[in-house]
Amino acid sequence: MNLKEIRSNIDRIDQQLPILLRQRMEYSLQAEKHKGDARDPAREESVFENVTAKSSSLLDKSFLSDLYKLILAESKKLQARHLKLVGFQGEHGAWSEIAIHAFGSEMAPIPCLEFRDVFACVANHDLEFGVVPVENSIEGSVTEVNDLLVEADLKIVAEAVIPVHHNLLALPGTNHQEIRSVYSHPQALSQCRAFLSRNKLEPRPFYNTAGAARWLAHERQRSAGVIASKLAAEFYELDIIKENIEDHPENATRFVLLSTQPGTGTSPANKCTIAFSTQHRAGALSDIVRIFAENKANLTRIESRPIRTNPGTFAFLLDFQGKPDDPAVVRALENAKKAAMMFKNLGFYPEATL
Amino acid sequence: MTNLKLVALENRKRTIIPVGNVRFGTGFVIIGGPCSVESEEQMIKTAIAVKSAGADMLRGGAFKPRTSPYAFQGLGLQGLKILAKAREATGLPFVTEVLDTRDVSWVAEFADMIQIGARNMQNYSLLKEIGKLRKPVLLKRGMYSTLEEWLNCAEYIMSEGNPNVVLCERGIRSFETYTRNTLDLSAVPAVKEMSHLPVITDPTHGTGKVGLIEPMSLASVAAGSDGLIIEVHRNPAEALSDKDQALTPSQFSGLVRKVRALAKFMKGIR
Repeated sequence: MNLKEIRSNIDRIDQQLPILLRQRMEYSLQAEKHKGDARDPAREESVFENVTAKSSSLLDKSFLSDLYKLILAESKKLQARHLKLVGFQGEHGAWSEIAIHAFGSEMAPIPCLEFRDVFACVANHDLEFGVVPVENSIEGSVTEVNDLLVEADLKIVAEAVIPVHHNLLALPGTNHQEIRSVYSHPQALSQCRAFLSRNKLEPRPFYNTAGAARWLAHERQRSAGVIASKLAAEFYELDIIKENIEDHPENATRFVLLSTQPGTGTSPANKCTIAFSTQHRAGALSDIVRIFAENKANLTRIESRPIRTNPGTFAFLLDFQGKPDDPAVVRALENAKKAAMMFKNLGFYPEATL
Repeated sequence: MTNLKLVALENRKRTIIPVGNVRFGTGFVIIGGPCSVESEEQMIKTAIAVKSAGADMLRGGAFKPRTSPYAFQGLGLQGLKILAKAREATGLPFVTEVLDTRDVSWVAEFADMIQIGARNMQNYSLLKEIGKLRKPVLLKRGMYSTLEEWLNCAEYIMSEGNPNVVLCERGIRSFETYTRNTLDLSAVPAVKEMSHLPVITDPTHGTGKVGLIEPMSLASVAAGSDGLIIEVHRNPAEALSDKDQALTPSQFSGLVRKVRALAKFMKGIR
């Protein structure tokens, strides 16, 4: 190994260490939600024991113990801030994590593997909130999230519309001619369909945009590119080959903030989401839609989703503008509930604009 | 000339080719910028100087065809990103050369106009690849090519479906050694007799001599050229390529002023 190779190996470890440390902090914040108290001397003792047992000629016992004192002190300091834990699907640098910042500060984004994990963690009170994408201006509905909104018993407490600008990333020093396949979340691949086809790049679906960036930084495949945010490029130290590769510059995604409790936000709620199913007869859907028209509630979205446990039947998600204390809105909701088979009010929240 | 189905003038109207806000074939288009993109600072400062001199468009090489394999080969993709930043800083569209069929789609992602250089004029696979796009093309005349060969190359691009071809006379090889090439100004009115496509001139490569660039620019206007492409460097002595033929920003600014005045005069006597 020459000096350059040795240094690049050191750099790679330095890239991994903060990622692992952050993960440790995230777990310690989640642990605090369970035990409710930052102090647990027996647990601390066992952490020190486990770590100092790994001492060796190069890793002195006192060094490890000092290092862990620092780490534990920092993690207690974080726990004392009582940050709100917000789940999002994917890895750090994902668009959902970027969206979390639109919902406020004093929030700690916690990565979850799948959308259903975000819903489950919020429902089980492991996390206070969850942030999920509902629809995109180019690609339309995020179907899995819409299915989960119908199935789950969670409330929407806020929404945000985030402009999404995708970037083609590759390992530093990659020649653009070498890139053959591009890994990313299917939503991102679809939003950049024209770019990929113009440049004869093969789209390869991956569970998350930032996850693909993390994977590339780890696997170091020269023939691969990923589509992800600039944040992901910074985080996983990848080069931006081309910025803004989405098929339309007005690419934006609407995200919602989920909770088990209805919203008590500071700005007044003026939008509502409901989920319902209807009888299988002529005019059943139009009857319900008419209720909202008669009560002057403006619909902003209607989405139909097959009910997965009963193929051939459909659930509808409907967004409309209306305030919770408006008698016409209350009347519309009551009448819609009577007319529907299944009916869920997912909650009132302030409407977001770009 | 019977095979020039799409390029020939016949009874067609003269073609106007838009590149951003610039329109080739109407008015007089002046393109300025360095031979090669060397660094972000150099490119952006030069671009700003070129704009304040009154130019319409930027040039800058990211992929460079060099006589020697050991000479600076250009910054590649990095150069394209810098050119995009220079466009952002000045609002001027840019033209840059492509050398390799594998780079065509990538250059098109960044550039407003793609140049086929003199050395690649008859690179037919490159012409066909460019023909599949709708991106405007600046097709330079090969240094050993007849007008008919040149126009046939434009036909290659157009027959693939890309109608946006601008021709550029950049000098041909002759027995004369005082100048780098011999700028064939008669090509301008000759091409206008044969084709409806716009044609501009490159007095920088056409002469290779700083002192001859301005007189030949003025002669180009008089000959009916639709524009000029001129190499400008902030500090020509330090340029990584073509340092003997680049104008300083102030030389360029003086040239633009005279060219605009003559172009206005020529319009008045037409």
